[in-house]
Amino acid sequence: MTEARLDVDRERMGQDLVKLVLTVVELLRQLMERQAIRRVDEGDLTDDQVDRVGSTLMMLEERMAELCEQHGLRLDDLNLNLGPLGSLLPRD
Amino acid sequence: MTGFADRGAAPDSTVTYAFAVCRGEDASGAPLPPGLSAGAPVRALRFGALTAIVQEVPAADFTEEVWRRRLSDRAEVERCARAHHAVVTAVARFRPTVPLALCTLYRDDWRAIEALGRDEARFAEVLDRVAGHVEWGVKVYVRPEEHASGPDGATGATPRPAPGAAARGSAGGPAPGAGRAYLAERRERQRSRVRRHEETLRDADVVDTTLRGLASAARRLQPQHQELTGDPRPQILNAAYLVAQERTAELSAAVTALRRRVGAHIEVTGPWVPYSFAGEV
Repeated sequence: MTEARLDVDRERMGQDLVKLVLTVVELLRQLMERQAIRRVDEGDLTDDQVDRVGSTLMMLEERMAELCEQHGLRLDDLNLNLGPLGSLLPRD
Repeated sequence: MTGFADRGAAPDSTVTYAFAVCRGEDASGAPLPPGLSAGAPVRALRFGALTAIVQEVPAADFTEEVWRRRLSDRAEVERCARAHHAVVTAVARFRPTVPLALCTLYRDDWRAIEALGRDEARFAEVLDRVAGHVEWGVKVYVRPEEHASGPDGATGATPRPAPGAAARGSAGGPAPGAGRAYLAERRERQRSRVRRHEETLRDADVVDTTLRGLASAARRLQPQHQELTGDPRPQILNAAYLVAQERTAELSAAVTALRRRVGAHIEVTGPWVPYSFAGEV
């Protein structure tokens, strides 16, 4: 590609940084969720453990939603375009 | 080989811009569009048994720096691409044509003849391949209803209890069982996403396989990103097919049948000059 034009705007840079950090946190949260689902499917967790893991992930998701709201973002905004590889987080 | 104009060239010097290569003694059968410069007409330049369509353009407008600056300006790129394309299309209307890349430049006519001449055999081969053929662009987008909401309604709005309300236990944490329900719902959502993904890829393959059957050559290109297409639906197939002109009706019948069969949105553009099948000449 060619040299893109850069627009340096401090406020927007701060906002972009928040978005990037939240995106990474959301990626980790989703990875944990997948891992949990896999372990549940493999059947190596007790009923009680499943419930506790699920509750924790659920609260994490709520907390993420709150953080997004505080920074004027939607969960859908948390993503990175990886070009030919698609997006970092799966889109519904 | 393409070379930019020298920065230190005389202010009024020109370079030779090449648009396309075609066969034929006289390629100026029809009036040609103005091309990229107002100063000189678009004209034919013989090399060996073939003809290049060229124009003298001011060297100062085509130095590497100027071109680079131009490439970062979308409107300017579009203007150049359209001017280039208009010439290519006008030439291709009457004879098999190999379009050259945007900004194919030679220091002068002699350099153009020398450089293009070295590739004469390859140009002849491509001209044989594209003769009597046109290119059709086919893009397939994810089924709209599936993108808007999953087949089981699994979208952003999930049927699980509202967070913090009914699911709250006395200690402020989620009620017993809520965690398990949450995981089950997530698993279902993941599965339906995988299922949709597989169906979507199958749609793309069905379209591609069917159209390949009608084409003399086909190329699958990288699907374009949503930012580029401006379409909210993800693009799942971006392909080009080289189809004999007399099979145009067959192609359009096949597309109609595919639209009914796969339900995906199929966009067809063309007929184009076979840009995607010009090869690396």
